[in-house]
Amino acid sequence: MTFEESLHKIRTVANREIHRWGKSPIYFFCMLVAPTICVIFFLSLMKDGLPTDMPIAVVDLDGSATSRNLVRQLDAFEQTKVVVRTTSFDEARREMQKGNVYGVFYIPEDFGVDAASGRQPRLSFYTNGTYLIAASLLFRDMKTMSVLAGASVGLQTGLAKGYTEDQIMAQLQPIVIDTHALGNPWLNYSVYLNNTLLPGVLQLMIFLVTVFSIGSEIKHSTSREWLESGGNSMTVSLLGKLLPQTVVFTVVAFLYCAALYGFNSFPLNSGWGPMLLALFLLVISSQAVGVFMIGLLPTLRLGLSFASLFGMLAFSIVGFSFPVLGMDPTLQALSDLFPLRHYFLIYVDQALNGRDLFYSWTEYAWLTGFLILPFLIGRNLKGALLYFKYIP
Amino acid sequence: MKRENRLQYIIKEGFLDTFYIWKDELKNVFKDSGVVIFFFLVPFIYPILYAFIYNNEVVREAKMVVVDQSDSFLSREFTRRVNATADVEVVAVCSDMAEAKKMLDEKKAYGILYFPSEFSKDLHKGKQTTLSLYCDMSSLLFYKAFLLASMEVSLDMGKELRAHNSPASSGKMEEIMVEPIPYESVAIFNSQNGFASFLVPAILILVLQQTLVLGIGMLGGTAREKNRFHTLVPVCRHFNGTLRIVFGKSLTYLLLYVVVCIWVLAIVPKLFGLPQVGESWTIMFFILPYLFACIFFAMTLSGFMRSREAPMLVFVFTSVVLIFISGVSWPKEAIPPFWKVIGYVFPSTPGIQGFIRINTSGATLNEVAHEYRTLWVQAGIYFITACMIYRFQIMRSRKLIIKQYRYMKMQRALRKGK
Repeated sequence: MTFEESLHKIRTVANREIHRWGKSPIYFFCMLVAPTICVIFFLSLMKDGLPTDMPIAVVDLDGSATSRNLVRQLDAFEQTKVVVRTTSFDEARREMQKGNVYGVFYIPEDFGVDAASGRQPRLSFYTNGTYLIAASLLFRDMKTMSVLAGASVGLQTGLAKGYTEDQIMAQLQPIVIDTHALGNPWLNYSVYLNNTLLPGVLQLMIFLVTVFSIGSEIKHSTSREWLESGGNSMTVSLLGKLLPQTVVFTVVAFLYCAALYGFNSFPLNSGWGPMLLALFLLVISSQAVGVFMIGLLPTLRLGLSFASLFGMLAFSIVGFSFPVLGMDPTLQALSDLFPLRHYFLIYVDQALNGRDLFYSWTEYAWLTGFLILPFLIGRNLKGALLYFKYIP
Repeated sequence: MKRENRLQYIIKEGFLDTFYIWKDELKNVFKDSGVVIFFFLVPFIYPILYAFIYNNEVVREAKMVVVDQSDSFLSREFTRRVNATADVEVVAVCSDMAEAKKMLDEKKAYGILYFPSEFSKDLHKGKQTTLSLYCDMSSLLFYKAFLLASMEVSLDMGKELRAHNSPASSGKMEEIMVEPIPYESVAIFNSQNGFASFLVPAILILVLQQTLVLGIGMLGGTAREKNRFHTLVPVCRHFNGTLRIVFGKSLTYLLLYVVVCIWVLAIVPKLFGLPQVGESWTIMFFILPYLFACIFFAMTLSGFMRSREAPMLVFVFTSVVLIFISGVSWPKEAIPPFWKVIGYVFPSTPGIQGFIRINTSGATLNEVAHEYRTLWVQAGIYFITACMIYRFQIMRSRKLIIKQYRYMKMQRALRKGK
């Protein structure tokens, strides 16, 4: 085939593919509806960035003006809301088991008197580690409150002795830590999670659609017809079939990009170029992995099962929630097999930290490297397309 | 009265048919490798994989680089103590920020601790001094490790410095001055704030629902592909009543999933040492309505599946949404009302909430009454919808039979007419 003939054939196959979409609405669901549901869901779920007013219970055995003041101050913290005041720890624990509160702040008996007279009353606070995000937010507030409670006593003693406030603060807290969360100074969870969750959904849907579009040809015994329309060339047939999907998924990916960095103004320190390129590479590398999956397991249901499991696993193994460095070395190596992992590393370098492209070129290379996969499995896939009999 | 109309006969036949359908469905399950994958392989492998991924629970030795402009005894002591914590490892001490930033760029470290040149001088003069901590935000767990470790060290050293700077008459007096109100923090139920203990129980419950939806959906899709007239119900004497079909089939799934549940909810947590303080009876009582709700929910959905692969394309991605809507990672108080309502459609939402509180926090059925009730209500509603779906399908296949019968009769009449 000459080049022009090939181009013509590719167009024929692409037209045939678009025709097939019209016949089964499931393509539209997977390519447009599911990604839309996810982008709306995740962006609206985390629109505040950080959960505020997490409920806690206060066990106040003191009941003095001092302890009430403490509770009021704690309630005034942005992330904390005191919803239960009680004098029994048992009740507070039950509220925790009921899921009504995520933390308990415990003020012992005679707290006010003891504090003023230097008898060192002990404050305790409990967080429910089953809810990790809520627990760590509340931990921060309750710890700050406890430190402040100690400081206020020190402040009063110091003032009584005639020191200036500066002198006292230097005494109370000689070393202050000034934290700079690079790229995400608000500790915004939406920035933190959605930058990887949404491309993850996209990767999953690309796996599924790629496997489905090829596998259903085998299942319905139309694969020979498909190959013939591509001039019996595997490359031409695949290109023709996948190109329309590439276009749709790239548009969806760029719309994601617009939603994240345009509409929501998430940090984009690298400018648009590197991220758009990364997303495009994510789309085509995921397609390549999809072709490999159906080539390896040329039964539609097995191919799809493989795609589902692999696509779901990506969310965990990519390491944006639990870092890859904290995993078993085997898993660290395995994580390289997921396009999303490399996309995530590019995102961290580029959009989040605005690093030089030099530091991420290996990840771009990895993503491009996935494109070899279809060539490795091409022969196997063609065999399946020509001779495989679908067994229900 | 005809024999067929007697109640006794109907009940007896109903029972026999139920068991016939039960056996038939059992055969369908084991004949279909796709269904076997979802009913057995996925629930078997997935929990192991996830437990393996999150098995280390917490991040240890997060890599940090120190920029020490002060280069004094105090700054070195501070660095040494940060390095000594379990969470942080100081990989290098650089002389300027540019060098440290380069290490971050090269991913040799994920955080920078910066000592200003007047660090030691300020402290000796009795002035407050500020350290700067810079964190790479690719993982919040790194950030947390750096922040907690340096906070802890700064508070400890602060106390010592104070005691040193203004000595008191006795050790006790010193202690009171340094720390007038001591405090302690306790993480309960998941005492090391581990990641596996937090997320894996929720995944276990979700896996049950999702595999049921996928497996049953696949069975439904297969039936639609295979049966004459492409209906969910085969044309057969035994499939002649809604209740016997719904009971017969759900019995199959229920019995299979009792086995699956034992593996997923009893053995896996033991294998990986996940916290399990709940009473096993409570867990069983709670899981029962969950299974019912999931099964009937899946049977309802299976009515809409036209092909055997459709469930995978449609339902797999929902797992990501469902884990967030359940309120375990994103607190339920922060979920917008609209999504909260949507969450109640799925058995996994109350299922996950209730299960982790029983399993990890030791709640009894009293404490999860709301979730327990919700599950029964869901089971009831989805039972009715499942019946409606099958009723509709029976009627449809009957109508199609009658249509075909008339059509054939007409053709025969035509042929005779010739």
